Amino acid sequence: MKVVGILVVTVILVFIFLIQRRGLARSEKRVKRAFFSIMMVNWVFAVLLVIFPEMPGPGQMIDFIYKSFEPFW
Amino acid sequence: MIEKGRISCLELALIMYATVATTAILYIPYVTAQHAKRDLWLSPIWGSLSGFLIVVIIVILSRFFPGKTLIEYCELILGRTIGKIIAFLYLFFLLHDTAIAFREYGEFVESAFLHKTPMLFVTGSIAISCAIAVHGGIQTIGRCALLFLPIVLASYVLIYIFLIPDLNVKNMLPVMADGVMPSIKGSLAPHAWLSQFSLMSFLLPFLTNQQKVMKWGMFSVMASVLTMVLINLGNLFLFGDIIINLQFPVFEAARFVSIGSFFEHIESIIIAVWVLGGFIQLSAFFYMLVLGTSQWLKLPSYKPFVLPIGFLIILFSAWTIPSFEDMIRGMGTTVPFYFLTVQLLIPILLLCVAVIRWKKPKSFLQ
Repeated sequence: MKVVGILVVTVILVFIFLIQRRGLARSEKRVKRAFFSIMMVNWVFAVLLVIFPEMPGPGQMIDFIYKSFEPFW
Repeated sequence: MIEKGRISCLELALIMYATVATTAILYIPYVTAQHAKRDLWLSPIWGSLSGFLIVVIIVILSRFFPGKTLIEYCELILGRTIGKIIAFLYLFFLLHDTAIAFREYGEFVESAFLHKTPMLFVTGSIAISCAIAVHGGIQTIGRCALLFLPIVLASYVLIYIFLIPDLNVKNMLPVMADGVMPSIKGSLAPHAWLSQFSLMSFLLPFLTNQQKVMKWGMFSVMASVLTMVLINLGNLFLFGDIIINLQFPVFEAARFVSIGSFFEHIESIIIAVWVLGGFIQLSAFFYMLVLGTSQWLKLPSYKPFVLPIGFLIILFSAWTIPSFEDMIRGMGTTVPFYFLTVQLLIPILLLCVAVIRWKKPKSFLQ
C-alpha cells in the first residue's frame, strides 16, 4: 500500500514537471534551482507522510507554542 | 514588476471580503457561541477593532513603500538577514493559513455533500481549478470576484428572507445577561479572522487607483463584520439557544427553508453557490502565497511555481490538521493567538521601525 502511495506521489510530481518543462527550459538558472528545490521538498514531505501518516506537523507545533496562552482567555 | 495585471479598488474590497467572510460565516458562529452564547452577534463587532487597525497599518506601510508587498518591504525595513527571516515566518504562516482554508473547504463539502469521497480528492480538485485562476494572475481573480460574489451574497440574503416567518426576535433577549465579558471572550476567533486583512498588502501594489485605498479597505472590513453580525443574528433568531450545538448553522438554516412544502432542500443550491465564494477565497490565498514566495526568492516570474506550491498546500492541509474535531478545537483555542501574533505583531513591528527610520512617508498626506 505504501509503495503505491509513494508511486502515486512521484507520478503526480513528474506530471507537474512535464507540464512546466517548456517554461522552465527558457528560464534562468535561478528559477530552475528554486523550482527543483520546491519539488524536492514536496517529494520528501509527501513520502514521509505516506510512510508515517501520524507524523506530528506544524499544527502540533502551534498547539505547543500557544498552549500557555489559553488559561488567560 | 512580477505581476502585470491590475485590479480596481472594488475588486480589492471584494477579494478581501471573500478571503475573510467565506469561511467566517461557516465556522465562526459555532466557535463564538461556545463562549458568547446568546451574545454571539456582538463578538464580530469587538473583532472589527483588529480589522480596522490592521487596514490602517497596512495602508500606511504601503504609503512608505509604494508598489511593494509586505515580503519586499520587510527586507527594506529590517535589513537583509532579519528581514528575510521575518518574511519567511510570515510566508510559513501564509502557507499554514492557506492549508487551513483548503481543509475548511474540504471538511465542509465532505460533511455536507460528499460523505464518502476522500478529503484529498475534494481539496485536490479545488486546488487544480484555483491553480488555473492563479496562473491567470490577479486580474482573473479580481474579475471572478466581481462576477461571483454578488450571487453568493444574494444567496445568503435569500436564505433568511425565506425564513422570515420562523424568525423569533425574542431569542436574542436578554442581551448581555452575564455582562460584556462572554461576548469579548467569544470575539477571539473573529479577531483572528479579521486580522487576515494584513494579506491586503499583497494586493495593494496592483491597484489602478492608489488614492482611495483606505476608504475601500475600511469598507471591506465593515462589509465583513456586517455579514458576520447579520448571519449570527439570523441564526440566533432561528435556532435560539441550541445554536451552541450546531456546527454549520448557516447550512442548517438553509435546510430549514420550506415554502408551501414544495420549495425545499435549497441547501444544495446554497452549497453550490458557496463553493463559488470558496473558490475566490482559496484562489486569493493561493495567489498571495505563490507571489510572496517568488518575491522572497527574488524570482522574475511566479508562474512556474503555481503547481508545485499547490501540491505543497494540499500536503500541508492533510498534515497540519489531524481531524475535523482538532480543527474546531484549534479555532477556539490556539490558532487565533497564532493568527494574531503573526498578522498583527509583524506589521506593527515593521511600522514602528519604519516610522523611527524614515519619520514620514512622502505621500502620507494625500
